Amino acid sequence: MGRARKPVQIIILFVIILLGGYAIGSSVFGGDGKLREGGKAPSFELLGLDGLTHTLDEYKGKSVVLNFWGSWCAPCVKEMPALQAQWEKWKEQGVVVVGINVGEDQMTVENFVKQVDINFPVVMDTGRDAVRSYGVSPLPTTFFINAKGRVDSIHIGQLDLSTLDDQIGKLVKP
Amino acid sequence: MKERTPLITNTKCECGHQNPVGTVLCEACGKPLDREEQLSSGNLEMRYDGVARRSQRVNPGVIDLVWNFFSSVKIAIYLIVLTLLGSMLGTIFPQESTFLNIDASTYYPEKYGTAGEIYYKLGLSHTYESWWFVLLLVLIGASLVICSLDRVLPLYKALTRQKIRKHRQFLTRQKVALVTELKEEPEAWVARMVELLQKKGYRVRTDGAALLAEKHRFSRWGPYVIHIGLIIFLLAVLARGLPGLNMDQHLAFPQGDTVRIPDTTYYLKNEKFTVEFYTEEEMPKEFRGKKILPKLYETRAVLYECTANCTDPSKEPQLAEVARHNIQVNSPLSYNGLKAYQFDYDLTPVLRSVQPELINAKSGEVYGKFKLDMNNPQRSFQAGLYTLSLKEKYMDFGLNEEGQPVSKSPYPNAPAFLFLITGPDLPAGGQQYFYFPKQVDKEKFQMTAINDKLGGSGRFLELEVGGMSDVDFSESTTYLNIRVDRAMPFVWIGAGIVMLGLVLGFYWQHRRIWLAANHGELVLGGHTNKNWFGFRREIVSILAKTDLTVDEKSLDNGGGLA
Amino acid sequence: MSLLDFSSDVFIAAFFLYSGSFMLFTIAIMGRKWSGRKPEEHTARWGRIAFIGSSLGLICHLAYFFTRWAGSGHIPVSNMYEFMTFLSMMIMVAFTVIFSIYRKIILGVFAVPVSIIVMAYAAVFPQEVQPLIPSLKSIYLNIHVTLAALGESFFAVGFAAGLMYLLRTVDFASKEKNDRKQQRLVEFTLFSIIVIIGFLGSVFAFRGAGYETVFVRSNVTIDSPGQGDSTIEKVSYKMPPIVAPYHSEIESFQSFLGMNKPLFEAPSWMNGVNAGRKFNTVLWSLISGLLLYGILRLAVRKPLGRAIHPVLDGIDENDLDEITYRAIAIGFPIFTLGALIFAMIWAQVAWGRFWGWDPKEVWALVTWLFYSAYLHLRLARGWQGRKSAWLAVLGFLVVMFTLVGVNLVIAGLHSYAGTD
Repeated sequence: MGRARKPVQIIILFVIILLGGYAIGSSVFGGDGKLREGGKAPSFELLGLDGLTHTLDEYKGKSVVLNFWGSWCAPCVKEMPALQAQWEKWKEQGVVVVGINVGEDQMTVENFVKQVDINFPVVMDTGRDAVRSYGVSPLPTTFFINAKGRVDSIHIGQLDLSTLDDQIGKLVKP
Repeated sequence: MKERTPLITNTKCECGHQNPVGTVLCEACGKPLDREEQLSSGNLEMRYDGVARRSQRVNPGVIDLVWNFFSSVKIAIYLIVLTLLGSMLGTIFPQESTFLNIDASTYYPEKYGTAGEIYYKLGLSHTYESWWFVLLLVLIGASLVICSLDRVLPLYKALTRQKIRKHRQFLTRQKVALVTELKEEPEAWVARMVELLQKKGYRVRTDGAALLAEKHRFSRWGPYVIHIGLIIFLLAVLARGLPGLNMDQHLAFPQGDTVRIPDTTYYLKNEKFTVEFYTEEEMPKEFRGKKILPKLYETRAVLYECTANCTDPSKEPQLAEVARHNIQVNSPLSYNGLKAYQFDYDLTPVLRSVQPELINAKSGEVYGKFKLDMNNPQRSFQAGLYTLSLKEKYMDFGLNEEGQPVSKSPYPNAPAFLFLITGPDLPAGGQQYFYFPKQVDKEKFQMTAINDKLGGSGRFLELEVGGMSDVDFSESTTYLNIRVDRAMPFVWIGAGIVMLGLVLGFYWQHRRIWLAANHGELVLGGHTNKNWFGFRREIVSILAKTDLTVDEKSLDNGGGLA
Repeated sequence: MSLLDFSSDVFIAAFFLYSGSFMLFTIAIMGRKWSGRKPEEHTARWGRIAFIGSSLGLICHLAYFFTRWAGSGHIPVSNMYEFMTFLSMMIMVAFTVIFSIYRKIILGVFAVPVSIIVMAYAAVFPQEVQPLIPSLKSIYLNIHVTLAALGESFFAVGFAAGLMYLLRTVDFASKEKNDRKQQRLVEFTLFSIIVIIGFLGSVFAFRGAGYETVFVRSNVTIDSPGQGDSTIEKVSYKMPPIVAPYHSEIESFQSFLGMNKPLFEAPSWMNGVNAGRKFNTVLWSLISGLLLYGILRLAVRKPLGRAIHPVLDGIDENDLDEITYRAIAIGFPIFTLGALIFAMIWAQVAWGRFWGWDPKEVWALVTWLFYSAYLHLRLARGWQGRKSAWLAVLGFLVVMFTLVGVNLVIAGLHSYAGTD
């Protein structure tokens, strides 16, 4: 029979392996669209308390501690002083702490910031876009993003001063 | 049935034709090639017309072995059966995907005990997403491609190159066969037959006193058309997973609100949500007073597309209406690939804004009225000579462990506002005033007592809502399932092709009749891929018209009747 | 409401016409030996009468269907009663189609009772016309359900022909090991059918007697620590309780043959409140099935398979084999279109996903895979005759589980189909 038979067979088998590998791969890893450690941090475009629009790209080259919070969530309130302290400690070494408020209005956020006395940048995710793209479900959730824009680690739940310090330390000097 | 024929056989037929390895019946004259077969008198193996499948060759390499594996129908059947059993396992307990928010690791043991725990640990709680199930589907896909390729090309060649004159054995060993005396002149009789066969829709070719009549050959391609359809279907299902082709989210739309659909430039407004139930009269007698059946869920929806200021959150986006539809359960809104399905609803009213009046509780004098939004309210209001500046706002008022006022959730379940009022007859620094728009909260949190404490005994100002016209709330919330599925057309195309193949393959049959008339003898052989009963009946009726009376049963040459 | 009354009247007429034509078909076959006429003549004559009877029954059945449709304003396939009556009608349609192709009188002896049993099963469910809930209001209800049922009906005829093939070909006289196995399997199949008849018999007998016993059970569910929620569930038994629901108390008990308390309690893993009642029904079906089987065995004094075998004497087994295959081959494309493709189209329109691995969907797929395995085995692997007939019998079991078993045992999105 035709001489082209073998190459055709090889090509078909190769395509099957490729598609099959993709199918199994996407069913086993992800597919649910959740962000995992080591993945690229999705960008966002959100309104800050300063009235300006902020994006993740602004902090390119810096390590970013991205904290999702809500004023009504008690552990979020409790971890704010730790975040503020670490922000003050590390900001000279290329670390930014960014708070993302989830779904509340400006007044609530402003009052809250004043009340807990924090001065790191805070942006408002009114449409819950960042919540979706980062796959956040419970609050607080904190993402540690390295200078290359990759998620180094994810912390779900309240942070204390020492874990926060350790995590940032790892982020700066890997 | 043997799948592999002995490899060392003489593949050259006595008619002079050189056949490829694996050929059962000579491609030219149809005589069996195997010596043992030649001596037998049973029915011929007519699968794929006795031609060699592509994968059958003398020295198989690794690629050939893999190819052979997938080209085997036996393997295909094993795969089908395994998929069938795997699918069954997944229905023992509900799958994880049927629940929105559960912790599967604790749910299954709690609900179903040890069996549930084993079920979860085996990964059967997500059977259809498991690697082995997807692998089975992939293997089925591979088998579909390779099985079809391996058979369809040789079969095509065999059917397009058919010789009219076949070996006598080929005719007499068909499942429908007849050898009988022929008194007429052979050529004339054959000519008569040609006409009769053509009337029955056969395409007839003759070679002297030999004849080959054939109809509905396309039916032979049915199975392969089905397989092509299934492959397209499976590929389309796979493509659904590609980023950007698929979106699936459940969103809440309070009545009257325009909500942005994330990851798109669309906004959807729920103008009105309606839920209706069947009235007593519409229900059968047996159900009256016992059952309540829903009649209608409908969301009057308007879809907007953002035309400017879409991504900049600091600006108000500009919207243009693009579609409008009353979404019902079986009637989604559809625009440009985006679909909105009725999914759920909630009849709890949600407060949007109130318009309280500032009054003098002692004299009853009304100073002024203002609009207080629950979300993003103004910071200061003017009511007559008084200025109210909003200091604090709680959406869901409560007290924390330290007894300080906090909001328990971001939803306006129990909104509360703290104003600082300045104006005539008030202290220079102003007077604080706590305001709960909802009547229940006023009592629950003792608004009067709080304000008495804040404003002292000489307090005379109150905020009150005049009537329901001053309260704006959304009566209900509809939940819509917003979907984009760009691969769907291919899913339907695949399914359509499968259907076409099924109809071709099952409702028509490829029928062939070989006739050879010589020396006063008539030899007839017939083959069909289905419905031998109807085929025999047809042959008998045709032969009857040439004054040959044949009993239907006598045509039956034994053997199974596929 | 007179249209609906007429509808139920013609339904009953259809039932009796089917039963009558079943008897006529039986006379046509059984009577050929002792009637004065030539056997072929006798069979042809009585067979024609029987077929006229079954066709009249089908006309009445169709009249029931369309008058109920007109009377209720929607196609009567929206609950279990309506679906089962529709299925039995489609089985008669499939029988009529296959019968007009092959003209085998004997087919009536086996296919008509399948329809009668399904019809009787329908009567177990509540019969009132129920208005449609929003998710069923769709043209796809008509297309999906009718085509799926028609496809399944051809499988039912395939089942009847397959069973006939087995009864015809199994060597009931042989003592050889393999033949003994076949004999036992055939006997078991017949016994299973008798259990179903036993189930129907006990349902209607106790219903006729107006039997009822009620159990109550209080469930305490703990939502969060310290917050218990207790609900009281009631189960009404329509058959004397051999087995009581797990952890339940008697509210009212109607004694039966001196029995005035349940014999035992359902095991703890049957924790659904209705599980005990379903288990009780299964027990009653088995008891009455065994009773019925015992009586039949006493009457014929040999295994039932062996007793039926001579009835099929002289029937060409190859014809039976072909009828089995042909029925399935006709049904398969219809089933694919109705139970899978239109199911997917509807699911896409109603729920936004064409496939969701809902148990009913999975079992439709299982049925489809089963019959595609059947076709592959037959067409490419030469499985004909005995093996093919067994697959046809087993296949219908899969069909019935998809239609009935899934609703009884597994609940899913299709659970609104309502079950007893």
